[in-house]
Amino acid sequence: MFNNRQKAIMVKDIRGITENKRYFSVLTILPLLFSVVFPTMMLLTVLMSPTDSSSFTEMARILPDFQKLDQEQLIRELLSLMVNNVIPIFFLIIPIMTASVMAASSFVGEKEKRTLETLLYSPLSIREIFRAKVYASFLVGVLVTYVSFILTVIVVEVELYIFKGMLLPLSLNWLWVMLLIVPAITIISIVLIVKGSAKAMSIEESQQKAAFLILPLALLMIGQFTGILVFSGWIVVSIGLVLLVIALLLLRYSMTGFTYERLLDR
Amino acid sequence: MNAIEIRQLEKIYSEGKKAIDDISLVVPEGTIFGFLGPNGAGKTTTVKLLNGILNPTHGEMRVLGFDPVSEAGKLHQSTGVLTEHAGMYDHFSGIDNLRFFGQLFGMTKAESETRGMGLLEKLGLTDAAKVKLKSYSTGMRQRLSLARTLIHRPKVLFLDEPTSGLDPESTKSVNELLLELSKEEGTTIFLCTHQLRYAQEICNEYGLMDNGQLLALGSLEQLRRRTFDHYKVIIETDIMPQSLNSKRIGKNKYELSFQEKAEVPQLVKAIVQQGGNISQVTPLDYSLEDIYFALLEGGEGHVQ
Repeated sequence: MFNNRQKAIMVKDIRGITENKRYFSVLTILPLLFSVVFPTMMLLTVLMSPTDSSSFTEMARILPDFQKLDQEQLIRELLSLMVNNVIPIFFLIIPIMTASVMAASSFVGEKEKRTLETLLYSPLSIREIFRAKVYASFLVGVLVTYVSFILTVIVVEVELYIFKGMLLPLSLNWLWVMLLIVPAITIISIVLIVKGSAKAMSIEESQQKAAFLILPLALLMIGQFTGILVFSGWIVVSIGLVLLVIALLLLRYSMTGFTYERLLDR
Repeated sequence: MNAIEIRQLEKIYSEGKKAIDDISLVVPEGTIFGFLGPNGAGKTTTVKLLNGILNPTHGEMRVLGFDPVSEAGKLHQSTGVLTEHAGMYDHFSGIDNLRFFGQLFGMTKAESETRGMGLLEKLGLTDAAKVKLKSYSTGMRQRLSLARTLIHRPKVLFLDEPTSGLDPESTKSVNELLLELSKEEGTTIFLCTHQLRYAQEICNEYGLMDNGQLLALGSLEQLRRRTFDHYKVIIETDIMPQSLNSKRIGKNKYELSFQEKAEVPQLVKAIVQQGGNISQVTPLDYSLEDIYFALLEGGEGHVQ
């Protein structure tokens, strides 16, 4: 899939991120926030709220037929909604953020630090160089997300066991999010950064653009919270497949029109 | 065989600036070719064109038989390029950088490391091999960049102001390295500089550029013949024969002009035969600088 020259670029790009304290802290702190801190806060809100309080009743309204459920069932259903519908959205934000940081450093950073020209004097074609860089960003984005997922599962289940003495099964939603949606939006974020890299002159400028990707997710999260949009399994699979197709098409056509001259144009 | 061939090359940038105006030249293999001219003359643009980084507006080029426009990847395997904007990675050490670039050119990690350490030694950077680049001085960076261009043993080297930022000692070691490459490995060196005296020390062929145009092309001797029609010598003697066409420029000091260098012994002989006591004979060689400025003042048309 890759030749040794491309592997050298991938290793170099990954080292570039892990050896830079600023980037590395972004790549560890943000995922920890979304995979440990926020889920814990949400679970504790449900677990600690007195079931007869008005805030609990407000939360319970999200559930269909909530009036028919007894209190134990209500808590269980609410927890399940949090774990299987709301928390997965954090796992869309994590790859967007990590892949954007990585891609911005790897593409725009090379231009900013004047190392891109040196790379272009190598025997690799622009396509080979960019492919190696896209996959390095993809690997980091997906790996950080998967590690965060494992952390979330451990933290959530341990907390539930401590507070409620129970373990909550994960829904199939997680599988589709992890296997379809996470890789797809990771690729989409990278491609958008790469497309912008020919024009963007600084890493900050290109990261600001990537931040716009998070806006639709914020709306999605509000939808889940208010119960307007609670996606069932087949909708998640369909969204995942559509996103994946879009991602692969974007990836295929993102590098067309890149020439040495356009890339180095200042 | 020619390492570089350029025919009627022209480059006009998108904003309309004509950076290269109809230049043609050939550089035979093994030559150290000095591509000279002030900043903005079109030297760096030519290097980028010859490496396929820029596309020409008009004209044809071949480097080692490859067309830089359509075969840039293949060409890059055999060329090494040093330009002001081709930087290296600050968070890597010197040897890490060389190892990475060696791998980009298809070398194994071990090969790149051995070759890299050898080059660092030749360029006086052994002690800095494991130091991160961000601690390097300008001169050290420049030498490391030169090592980077040599890591894969290129057949053609493009060096844009290679001694910029170097102290005299480092300049000397760089010169020795370049001369060794040219003599022992037959490497062709396309050296761009505005430092004419430096170029004269190391190059054996020259192309003089100004404002995108090639003013003149050839060896120092060919350029001199093209620019000046005579040699000069200053002779200090108490007697100067009337028969010799001389100009008195001081007490017992005369300037004489002649066509061929071989005439100097005859001039000396003529003075001695007339009973003159010669205390000093100083040949006045025209430097590259003299030639360049004479060409500029003469408003020479560009070379076809």
